[in-house]
Amino acid sequence: MSELVNILIIEPSYLVREGLKTLLTQTGLAFRVEETAVINGSFQKLVEKHQPRLVFINTLLLHSHWHGNRNKAPFQKLQIIGLTWSDVPEGVLSHCDFVLDITSSKAILMHHFVHFITKLGLINDEKGSESISERESDVLRLVALGYTNNEISERLFISVHTVMTHRKNITRKLGIKTVAGLTVYSILNKLVESGELKGRASASIE
Amino acid sequence: MLIHQDMKMADVVHLNHHLLHVINRFGIQLGYGEKTVSQLCATHKVPLPFFLEIVNTFHDPSYFPLESLLQFKASRLIEYLQQTHSYYLEFRIPEIENYIQRLNNDSSFDEAIKVLLLDFFGQYSHELTVHINKEEQRVYPYVLALEQFLESERSDQEQLELLKAYSIHEYEEDHENVEDKLFDLKNIIIKYIPSPKDSRLLNLILHEIFELEKDLNNHQHIEDLILVPIVEKMEIELRKSTKRTK
Ligand SMILES: [Fe+2]
Ligand SMILES: [Fe+2]
Repeated sequence: MSELVNILIIEPSYLVREGLKTLLTQTGLAFRVEETAVINGSFQKLVEKHQPRLVFINTLLLHSHWHGNRNKAPFQKLQIIGLTWSDVPEGVLSHCDFVLDITSSKAILMHHFVHFITKLGLINDEKGSESISERESDVLRLVALGYTNNEISERLFISVHTVMTHRKNITRKLGIKTVAGLTVYSILNKLVESGELKGRASASIE
Repeated sequence: MLIHQDMKMADVVHLNHHLLHVINRFGIQLGYGEKTVSQLCATHKVPLPFFLEIVNTFHDPSYFPLESLLQFKASRLIEYLQQTHSYYLEFRIPEIENYIQRLNNDSSFDEAIKVLLLDFFGQYSHELTVHINKEEQRVYPYVLALEQFLESERSDQEQLELLKAYSIHEYEEDHENVEDKLFDLKNIIIKYIPSPKDSRLLNLILHEIFELEKDLNNHQHIEDLILVPIVEKMEIELRKSTKRTK
């Protein structure tokens, strides 16, 4: 399972917001959307709160609310897509990674969507079928047996940070978040035997 | 399409049958006849705007009428949330448990896997019970006491201090997500269970889990996005409270 992409839509028009969501769904992107018709407070606060990967924003709103630096947090890691239906307000172009003319036909809009979504690597076909690596299954085994990140790091001679990265990848690939769930998976796939769990069982219930 | 007061309740169910349980939580049971939403609400002494907003929030998650929901009394909201809790604990959870137990009748199913599923679900229902108990024993009583305090004419200092000792922020911060294990269970059944001869019972279990998850999501939304702000508003009032103490 690939991770959900956070998307923030800032656009006064309900119709446009709905239309955007419909098109996004049709691209096959797995996403979670936060939407707002207005900016209460600042644009930066909104971005910090929702941590989106993509922001669709009405260019007029962007024009009146822009105080920031595209090369600095929190703006450097996200893509800003300006929405416009006529002229783009002056100076706004340089803040946008892309400008979308909302009067375009469906075919053109879809073409743009798929283009920047694939360019950003947000849709990747291989990830879905990716199974866990040998190292990951070593980590998974120990997680299932109820070991903590520290203990796993000591046993496998890797840093705690690496353990956490492995765990994140395991969860993403399997679609299983909890220790108890990973334990069930490990038993079903014979990474551990239920006998081994005895005595550590209490640790596996978070 | 949103649900409005002049619709026949029967049509509401035809439009979205997932609402059946939500309607029940207001004490309105089947056998609606030709009565409209507003007529049935009147008969059952349910405030119509409250009914409409809750039902519509469930019906269409993108319709979240924050402004109007913030007008409602906390005690009214808590009554609804409690009804929902008891629906989970007394009805939905035992029902899923039942279904999982029925897997026993299928001899093509490995014994160990049945035990695994039942165990896992048992852990989940324990987790949910703990979560709900905490809300009903700690959080809701606080909110109700706060409401009563603000509504009463006079107040005693002791009560005031007691109320000031807790804040809904504590709840907001450690209000954990209770859907993680359900999410896992779905994937375990969909992806990782050895394929059974007959999936029909498992399909039913999955269906139930999806329903429960949707319901919990809405419930959590109401707690986080409506209950918390309402209580925050009351807390501000409390702090400003210039009431004369006895
Ligand atoms: Fe609750
Ligand atoms: Fe809750």
